[in-house]
Amino acid sequence: MSARLEVAGLVRAFGGVRAVDGATFDVQPGSITGLIGPNGAGKSTVFNCVSGFLRAQAGDVLLDGRRIEKLPPHRIARAGLVRTFQTPRTLSRMTVLDNVLVPTTRAREREARVRADELLALVGLDAYGAELAGTLSGGQRKLLDLIRALMAEPRILLLDEPMAGVSPGLRVELLRHILQLRDRDGITLLIVEHDLDFVMAASDRVIVMNNGRVIADGTPADVRSDERVLDAYLGARRAAA
Amino acid sequence: MSALASGDFWAFVGVVAGIYTLLALGVQLQFGLTGLLNFGQVAFMAIGAYTMAILVVKEHLSTWLAAPLGVVVAGAAGLLLGLPSARLRADYFAIVTIAFSEIVRYVATNQDSLTGGSQGTIALGKVGVAAQYNGQWERFQARVQAWLHVGSKDVAMLVIVWSVAIVALTLVWLAVRTSWGRALRSIREDEDAAASLGKNVLAHKLQVLVIGSALAGLAGLFYAWQFSFFSPDDFQPLLTFFAWMIVILGGLGRVWAVPVGAAVFGFLFAGTRFLDFSPLSELDSAQRAYLRLIVIGLVIIGLVVFRPQGLLGRRDEMVLE
Repeated sequence: MSARLEVAGLVRAFGGVRAVDGATFDVQPGSITGLIGPNGAGKSTVFNCVSGFLRAQAGDVLLDGRRIEKLPPHRIARAGLVRTFQTPRTLSRMTVLDNVLVPTTRAREREARVRADELLALVGLDAYGAELAGTLSGGQRKLLDLIRALMAEPRILLLDEPMAGVSPGLRVELLRHILQLRDRDGITLLIVEHDLDFVMAASDRVIVMNNGRVIADGTPADVRSDERVLDAYLGARRAAA
Repeated sequence: MSALASGDFWAFVGVVAGIYTLLALGVQLQFGLTGLLNFGQVAFMAIGAYTMAILVVKEHLSTWLAAPLGVVVAGAAGLLLGLPSARLRADYFAIVTIAFSEIVRYVATNQDSLTGGSQGTIALGKVGVAAQYNGQWERFQARVQAWLHVGSKDVAMLVIVWSVAIVALTLVWLAVRTSWGRALRSIREDEDAAASLGKNVLAHKLQVLVIGSALAGLAGLFYAWQFSFFSPDDFQPLLTFFAWMIVILGGLGRVWAVPVGAAVFGFLFAGTRFLDFSPLSELDSAQRAYLRLIVIGLVIIGLVVFRPQGLLGRRDEMVLE
């Protein structure tokens, strides 16, 4: 059920800038792994390469030992690696229910509808099923994107800043859902997030990137005390002090 | 004004509306549901019509074999166009389609040995012999006419065209109610989101291109049979934009809005022919023909201003932006 993700020597440059410059890391099956780093560290580019939206120029991406770095996004999604986007990709002119049902194939329509109703109820959107998704608030769109991704039956889910633009009240709920995905559904999670409190609280492991490379990889406690991490985040201030 | 009361005249208007329904149904599937801007729809109509006529006249094929081949070749042309271009951004794809449609028309105009050139299908056969591709069709139409006990060919044609159109509409309507239709609409809304959920965006685009082109090919067959003769000039880009007007009039994203749009468009287009009362009778008939286009243009502008969702569309789902 849970999937393992291995990334080795990933390179992706834009013009002369190597946004990802040899990133290497593993995501353990059934874990919540946080991917953090200062702006421009290459986190989003890693996400885009792993999910097939960008072609890596070098390096391997393995999903349960199978190479996926040359597959198109829809094949990767069907292989069990599903991503969300930083800004919700709500399909505004479709109903909330139709949004959730997009990943469904015809053969599984009936059971998918049952599952969709469950998930909508879980995140409190069950009253909005027939509404057009464009009418939802920013926070509701985040939740919609999350459950829609779950309908694609991921074994590993990549969340790009799930907390961005979510109100404090909803954050607690979202954290609860994310922990439940790991504990109850056995889904591996890789999460890019700027909210460090959230990352440290939720993650089993934290990967820190800077300048396109992984500079630290360990438990939240390890990473918090890592000199290189402090340098990356606070470099300018420490140098000035 | 006597023509206004003539059943034959309105049957003719209805036949043309049925042909436009088939043509515009492709645009609805491609743009209204999938978001693909195809401005070259008329090219596939031309390909369907020419394929059938050429196979009948030059290869002496039965109409009943040549006609389905016309539809197949039109669909295949849609695939051929889509393979290199469907990955393009929407606006670039639109440019490719309109260029493709003009290329088809120019080839038909200049490849005399294949298409009869600018003289049209009459020059398909041997020099000095007026070629006919519709002998078998005429006999079939006469049988339908006798069977229906109707007095005019056009009424028989009306029944045939609309029977085919209703079957096509029903099939498309049933298809877009499934998960396939949901996938199309997800692509219209956001290709990346669709791909991230496991939908093969390119494959779906190619599917609607092939189906829409085949429908245009079918429209081309009926066009060819209805008019007994055609030339490259019949496939001007204007026809593509008529199909677009019909889809906009009826309402984007709704399958059954297409026949409604086609009927209203056909009525307006034919009805405005009779604008020869004072002071419009000061204009000659050619000027009045252009006046029709102005009237239809004004109707479209009024519609976009006051009812941008079209006659049957949902305002919050699909409007022209």
